[in-house]
Amino acid sequence: MRRALVAIALCAAALLALASSADAYLKLGTRVNGRIIGLKWAQLPIRYFVTNRDVPGVSAAQLQQTVAAAFSTWDSAPDVALSSQFAGFTEAPPLGNDNASVIGFLSRPDLDRVLGSTSFTVDTVSGDVIESDIFFNASFPWSVADAGEGGRYDLQSIALHEIGHLHGLGHSALGETELRAGGRRVLAAESIMFPISFSPGSTNARTLRADDIAGSGDIYGTSAFRTSQGSISGRVTKNGAGVLGAHIVAFSPASGKMVGGFTLSDDGSFVIAGLDPGPQVVRAEPLDDADIESFFEFAASVDVDFKPAFYNRVVVVPRGGTAQNVEIKVSAK
Amino acid sequence: MRRFVAFFVFALLSAPVRATVLVPIEFRELVAVSPIILHGHVVDVRSDWIDGRRAIETIVTVEPAEYFKGDLGDRVTFKVPGGELGRYRTIFVGAPVFAQGDEVVLFLDGTGAAQPHVVGLSQGVFRVVPDRRSGLSLVIPPAVMGRTDVDAEPVVRGDIARKPVPLDTFRQAIRQVIAEGGR
Repeated sequence: MRRALVAIALCAAALLALASSADAYLKLGTRVNGRIIGLKWAQLPIRYFVTNRDVPGVSAAQLQQTVAAAFSTWDSAPDVALSSQFAGFTEAPPLGNDNASVIGFLSRPDLDRVLGSTSFTVDTVSGDVIESDIFFNASFPWSVADAGEGGRYDLQSIALHEIGHLHGLGHSALGETELRAGGRRVLAAESIMFPISFSPGSTNARTLRADDIAGSGDIYGTSAFRTSQGSISGRVTKNGAGVLGAHIVAFSPASGKMVGGFTLSDDGSFVIAGLDPGPQVVRAEPLDDADIESFFEFAASVDVDFKPAFYNRVVVVPRGGTAQNVEIKVSAK
Repeated sequence: MRRFVAFFVFALLSAPVRATVLVPIEFRELVAVSPIILHGHVVDVRSDWIDGRRAIETIVTVEPAEYFKGDLGDRVTFKVPGGELGRYRTIFVGAPVFAQGDEVVLFLDGTGAAQPHVVGLSQGVFRVVPDRRSGLSLVIPPAVMGRTDVDAEPVVRGDIARKPVPLDTFRQAIRQVIAEGGR
């Protein structure tokens, strides 16, 4: 994908940027009083407990240290106001409604194929997040070894992903996979929030990518983040009508950074925030190689019947502003 | 009015998104490990406390139109994590959300449990959607339908061969895998 984006960048022209305001990214949301609000922690630091349970290969103390390291990675993102605090060990397992955010291992045979997941309890009147738990599936083999261990999943990588959810981020589609006889594996991912795990033994997902930082900054960014970054807004259309659920990728030829977003309404509109100012190449593609249910609640309405297409010009993102009216026209497969 | 409708649609569709880390299931394996595979309509969805009010789950009832594998009778009830009770909503990110009237193909497992669950959390759910132009019932098939004749092949997003297929085609694909022994 990166090669193709660069090729298009070389022959594209510039689009002048307009206006301001950075808005939506792929963020977790819920309905409150008939409208959708983003899941966001109103009070920082985020206080969390760790379940006092060992699993083969990982003690509770190692789990706590690994989770703390993963929180620290998110908290250290530039110009993002995030902080976290370990509140202590608990005998309570995760996924309970107990007004405490609990992170730990749990055996759930009904959650086969799930390495880890995040849950929220939300007050449907105020919209407040009451708690958020992360569970790691004790049925899988885990490792906290610095260099990873063959046949075991890297706990820090999965913790980093789940903590991204705990902060309010949804999934990213910035990843490439390959099919091998009997299975599918991740070749590369430009986001920690890509939903498919790297193979056991890999430690490739321990550091944030541009897409993660953009998303985190969109939710918790400081004023410095808002004034130093920019955004792109526009639409994806097919035969003049909006396309729902299209994946949009903004690629900076100067830095090599990629940031993704989605069209989240029937009119095909999108906003991608947290972009580096300057030229960006923008592409729309169908989410036809993914488990759409793991991205959107409106999976049945997502349109995957179109060919990938580039915006026909380079988009110049203004510092602290928005490049608007970027319409990417796609056609059916 | 048009403006209102546009806003309403946006409000409905703009957010809830999902999340978890999955180990992907290849289609042939999905068929093999699912004791129950059915096509049907959701007729009831309700949430309830479990484990002595420790957590909320949603109980979904489906009226099967046909079974591809197994048989649980005229009505099938299964559970998904998360749900809403009173003032509180538990969002289990990554869990599928159902509504009354949904038409689905489901891959279920109930081994050793009181109620079946969807295999692979969301990976065992395929929505059936009518095509506005043709009127056909369409299914977005799995990204990888389980070829066994390749060593390694990149999964290319936007592949023109990968598009929604008629329910009948999906039905045949499931039955073919079952006929071949499930794998």
